[in-house]
Amino acid sequence: MIRIKSPQDFGAGAVILAIGFAGIYFSGDLRMGSASRMGPGYFPQILSWCIVALGVLIGARSLVFDGPKLEPLELRPIGVLVISSLVFGYAIEEVGLALASTAALLIAPYARRGASFREAVFLSIGLTAFAIIVFVWALGQPLPVWGGR
Amino acid sequence: MGSGFEFNIIANLATGFGAAASLENLGFALLGCVLGTLIGVLPGIGPIPTIAMLLPITYGLNPLSSLIMLAGIYYGAAYGGSTTSILVNIPGEASSIVTAIDGHQMAKQGRAGLALAVSALGSFFAGCVGIVFIAAFGPPLAALAQEFNSPDYFALMVLGLVMAVMLAHGSVAKAFAMVFVGLLLGLVGTDVNSGTQRYTFGVTFLFDGLDFLPLVIGLFGIVEVVKNLELKEMPRMTVAARFRDLWPKLSDFKDAWKPVLRGTGLGSLLGILPGGGAVLASFASYTLEKKIAADPTRFGRGAIEGVAGPESANNAAAQTSFIPLLTLGIPSNAVMALMMGALMIQGIQPGAAVMTKQPELFWGLVASMWIGNVILVVLNLPLIGIWVKLLSIPYRLLFPAILLFCVVGVYATNTTPGMIALMAGFGALGYVLHKFGCEPAPLVLGFILGPVMEENLRRSMVMSRGDPMVFLERPISATLLVVSAIVVGLIVVPAFRKSREEVFQEDSA
Repeated sequence: MIRIKSPQDFGAGAVILAIGFAGIYFSGDLRMGSASRMGPGYFPQILSWCIVALGVLIGARSLVFDGPKLEPLELRPIGVLVISSLVFGYAIEEVGLALASTAALLIAPYARRGASFREAVFLSIGLTAFAIIVFVWALGQPLPVWGGR
Repeated sequence: MGSGFEFNIIANLATGFGAAASLENLGFALLGCVLGTLIGVLPGIGPIPTIAMLLPITYGLNPLSSLIMLAGIYYGAAYGGSTTSILVNIPGEASSIVTAIDGHQMAKQGRAGLALAVSALGSFFAGCVGIVFIAAFGPPLAALAQEFNSPDYFALMVLGLVMAVMLAHGSVAKAFAMVFVGLLLGLVGTDVNSGTQRYTFGVTFLFDGLDFLPLVIGLFGIVEVVKNLELKEMPRMTVAARFRDLWPKLSDFKDAWKPVLRGTGLGSLLGILPGGGAVLASFASYTLEKKIAADPTRFGRGAIEGVAGPESANNAAAQTSFIPLLTLGIPSNAVMALMMGALMIQGIQPGAAVMTKQPELFWGLVASMWIGNVILVVLNLPLIGIWVKLLSIPYRLLFPAILLFCVVGVYATNTTPGMIALMAGFGALGYVLHKFGCEPAPLVLGFILGPVMEENLRRSMVMSRGDPMVFLERPISATLLVVSAIVVGLIVVPAFRKSREEVFQEDSA
């Protein structure tokens, strides 16, 4: 029976293999051309096949050699940070920097367990003021403070 | 001759100081150093995330000022990282790992001030030497680069990437895979030759290619925050540092000057190497100092050589690793890839042409490196008290601020929510890759080089009418490819592999 001896490498192999196949698939309808006249698909295809080959190699090695255990994926920190970022990105279009930043920073502290709501409120107000002063007033970045664009 | 290269070091540096020493540019150098130290000193934030996060604020400046500020940020971040590793024993980046080993022990013994001073003064000396290196080797190398043709450039990039993989720590196969993924991501956008869309999925903001900033901020900034959040407890400052005795005694100078000299020499050489740079230099210097020490058992228990050598080495290498970037247009490590990205955003294609066409820019940057080093010594040693206070800010208050910095920076440079989505996406991808033991640094190198490599491969093949032998017929490209092949061969040889792992093993101490 096949046993995975290095879960970390096995995972890496799988992800890399997936990226490689995606690269091949999504460049499938690009013209290849010939070596002397490379089309837009030539280099992407070469690269993607190399990625696939490396993915296979890494995956195969993980069945042969012992390696480190897989640390558990913790969804909370990365998930909350992603959500908080997206809230900022889409809110700033509609309501401007002040409210978008406040909203994002009310969410962000929950990336760690046991966040305090009071602290989040203070932090979001303080940091938002700081961001407006530094980015908009001091650095003159073209960001709408109130209201969208 | 008429090569357009000025080889007179003094004249060149005079040009540079003329350009860099304007009040405005001095101000940007100062600002860069302060901001870089400010962010770099925060626990767990190394030079790469620091530069990535601060990159957006340099966008509005003219090319020279923005480069000067970026270089300042880099030195500040590196310096801040050393401070953190000495005082708190959490190196922000690999280049300060070895500093933490003996530096933190020194701090525990009440010699924190000495460790910081030795590190700052050693770095300053190394920085000065590194700049002379650039002034001496920059022009000849750039002149040599004029002889380069597409196949040679392609071969050079192959060598650069191979070396970067070999000199990085961790799995070689994974690092190669990351390089290729980076190269592929670099191709996203409109193909310049045919005008065809590649991997854009009809998304308009991808037509000009994948933006550099969301990629690096996602992969480094966001992932860094998540990594720190996963730690059960952020390490806090455990040593009560005394700063009254910052100045080394005469006996300390006697112990430190030789390691500083050796570190500087080693670092300057390793910095020029493709794939080399600050990280490699500090590891190599530590290994060297330990090997030649009369009593190696002192290492790991607060040996001053273990701070003086690596700190000088990483600063020397930090300077000289600008040489391949500015003369050949090849970034030798992820920090240089960031610099290259910043240059390209300013509309400058790094390479030999910068030196001939924009000498003020090239020499101004070189001069500003020296200015940055001076600022760090005169500013940071007295301000050490402030930096230490920053170290005591709890991470739960810090990380929302870091996140805000990331999103505002990304959005300000390209006001589309899609940019934030990209950043978040790369953050998630980077996190998964991190869990599977894949480093993002080679990916960034590949990403920067992707389009250039394709272009040079294309031109080479047009030149040779599709005959790949062109790479072996030209002496320069043949040599570079043979060296690359030897390096790849070496990685596979078990004995060599073992010693490569040993060099990078110091962090287990």
